[in-house]
Amino acid sequence: MVGGQVEIVSLTKSFDDVTAVDGIDLHIPSGEFFSIVGPSGCGKTTTLRMIAGFEEPDAGRIVLDGVDMQHTPPYKRNVNTVFQAYMIFPHLNVYDNIAFGLRRRRTSKAEVKRLVGAILELVQLGQLAERKPSQLSGGQQQRVALARALVLNPAVLLLDEPLGALDAKLRKQLQIELKALQQQVGITFVYVTHDQEEALTMSDRIAVMNNGRVEQVATPRDVYDEPATRFVADFLGVSNLIRAQALGAQAGACRLQVGDFELSAQHGIRDLRGPVTCLVRPERVRLEPYESGGENRIPAIVERVVFLGHSVQVIVRLAVGQPVVAMVQNTGDRFPYAQGTTVQAHLPADALRVLGSDDAQAGPAPDVLTADARLPPTPPDDQSSPELAPEPTIGDGRND
Amino acid sequence: MTDLVQALPPRLLGSEPPPAPWTARLRARPWGGWALGTFVVAYLIWSLAPVLIAFLFSFNAGHSRSVWQGFSTEWWTGPGSVFNNPLYFDAILHSFLLAGIAVVVSVPLGVSLAVFLGRWRGVATRPASLLATLPLVVPELVLALALFFLVTKLLHFVSVGTPGQVVGQVTYILPLVIVVTRGRLASIPSGFEEAALDLGASPVGAFRLVLVPLLAPAILASAIVAFAVSIDDFVITQYMSSSSSTQSVPMVIYNSTRGSASPALNASAMVMAVTTIVICGLGYLVYRAVNRRESIVFPQASIEPAPIGPALREGMV
Repeated sequence: MVGGQVEIVSLTKSFDDVTAVDGIDLHIPSGEFFSIVGPSGCGKTTTLRMIAGFEEPDAGRIVLDGVDMQHTPPYKRNVNTVFQAYMIFPHLNVYDNIAFGLRRRRTSKAEVKRLVGAILELVQLGQLAERKPSQLSGGQQQRVALARALVLNPAVLLLDEPLGALDAKLRKQLQIELKALQQQVGITFVYVTHDQEEALTMSDRIAVMNNGRVEQVATPRDVYDEPATRFVADFLGVSNLIRAQALGAQAGACRLQVGDFELSAQHGIRDLRGPVTCLVRPERVRLEPYESGGENRIPAIVERVVFLGHSVQVIVRLAVGQPVVAMVQNTGDRFPYAQGTTVQAHLPADALRVLGSDDAQAGPAPDVLTADARLPPTPPDDQSSPELAPEPTIGDGRND
Repeated sequence: MTDLVQALPPRLLGSEPPPAPWTARLRARPWGGWALGTFVVAYLIWSLAPVLIAFLFSFNAGHSRSVWQGFSTEWWTGPGSVFNNPLYFDAILHSFLLAGIAVVVSVPLGVSLAVFLGRWRGVATRPASLLATLPLVVPELVLALALFFLVTKLLHFVSVGTPGQVVGQVTYILPLVIVVTRGRLASIPSGFEEAALDLGASPVGAFRLVLVPLLAPAILASAIVAFAVSIDDFVITQYMSSSSSTQSVPMVIYNSTRGSASPALNASAMVMAVTTIVICGLGYLVYRAVNRRESIVFPQASIEPAPIGPALREGMV
């Protein structure tokens, strides 16, 4: 596939006195499925609209296949958009909606018929060509919107929360279809969503945006396993963020002091000293009998056990007062620890990641949104050492 | 046991309760009953009876428009009838000519202005919108005076007579077209125009291929309104007229009621009334057909969930 390379250089856009996009740089190679995720108002949709040409940047450049798009109006850009609310023309039937763009290019009647027929087959809407949009289901409308853009064979397809209006089951199905379709047609997809799971499922690479800035650009695996910042860790997936006192590197790992307990963390920034935040994913937390001993273990009490079907979500409170979420796979055995049981929470060294010094991570604490929002506040018994008074910072990223 | 049966709702016992007497129904909905009905009938008689009587007198056998002298069709077909008296017939033709031009000029102009005012985002958007609709509240007589001054003293290329009447009526009708069109425009998300641009249509193409079809009901409605207002207009049309050749039907009726007009005047008024009702009725039928054919369900602008984090936090404190 030729073309479809997008270069964004220090792009900036303000509305009145609000900076929506604050000098971002992105490089999207040809044929990539690139997602931009972030909470509402992080600037992801504004970025997409600037690529499409609906908003004019205040500063910075958008270069499409080597051509600066600054003076190119939307109708002359080789870029097409699938809109959030589809925006299928209600006065035209499915066929005419899909043929709209081709007819603007003065494509011959026979060619329009051939191309529309082919794309209708591709999105499995062959028998609905004569229908009006109001006679289509949400999923079918979504396919029409996709077909209408794809039939023009753009260099880049921009998708603005295309699955946002659909129910959860259909979303899952269309995520897989969309990814397969993208691989089939080989067009560069720039996909904007606030749903971190959607981005992780489909993307080749993900840009995580917050407050108009790009926090991290990496593969789904890397943004999940190796988040660059506390925001990224918190936004993608459920995170246990633990505040600790870093004691410096030792044997390739970072020594951490959490209350009276010592942990070692093998990932992240290992040579820090002072207050830090470190991350452990719930699926990496192990719960062991209280009697068991060893490195990286902190006694804890089981506060809540939530059965989720495929797994069991357990909220334990560490002896230092910090609640931690653990995900235990449902392997068929009964979950051995009842509420109120004391256990050892094993936070393996290779699952602990030091995200950086707390001074650099200044900002509002992430929203608390877990299965248990009624956790009692941390007992105020450790006010003497505020860095060891961890707040319950467990977010699942969908709290926007 | 009896208590239990009585306590159960009648549906469960398999028997419907007896129908309530009409007095009970009336007490339940006093305004839905005779009071409102009587009021409506009284109003219809009050407003329509004079029109029917005027209609009836166009069939009077004599020359009077107030004393019944027997039935005749001479004022509809005879030598002095509405269609043979040039005064009346020319006025009818002139009224329809003015209405036709007013529709053809004011609807495209008004729709374009409405789209411009509705979609343009600039500092002057709000003041411009206000000014554009100001003629709605300016008394027609004041507008007519001002326009007469403008046409006779300043704009010499517009002469009084038909051109002046058209300019005046269009000025008067434009705000109505703008208001009707903007109402519909506000319900059409700008995303449709963006989608058209995205698919390669020029701004003019997006207007013509997407916005105009979506505005079709409003365009039809404003055409009906423009036609009806123009046919009905007296003040501006009177001020801008030049001679008897530019008299419209309302002017002829006004000028001749005080004199000794024949029942042909009633007939000419009826011709206008019936034609206007037929044309507006046809317009309405087309409007309904267009509306039903589309049954547009516009998408919601935003489907991103509202932030619930802060609310939850507040709930916790």
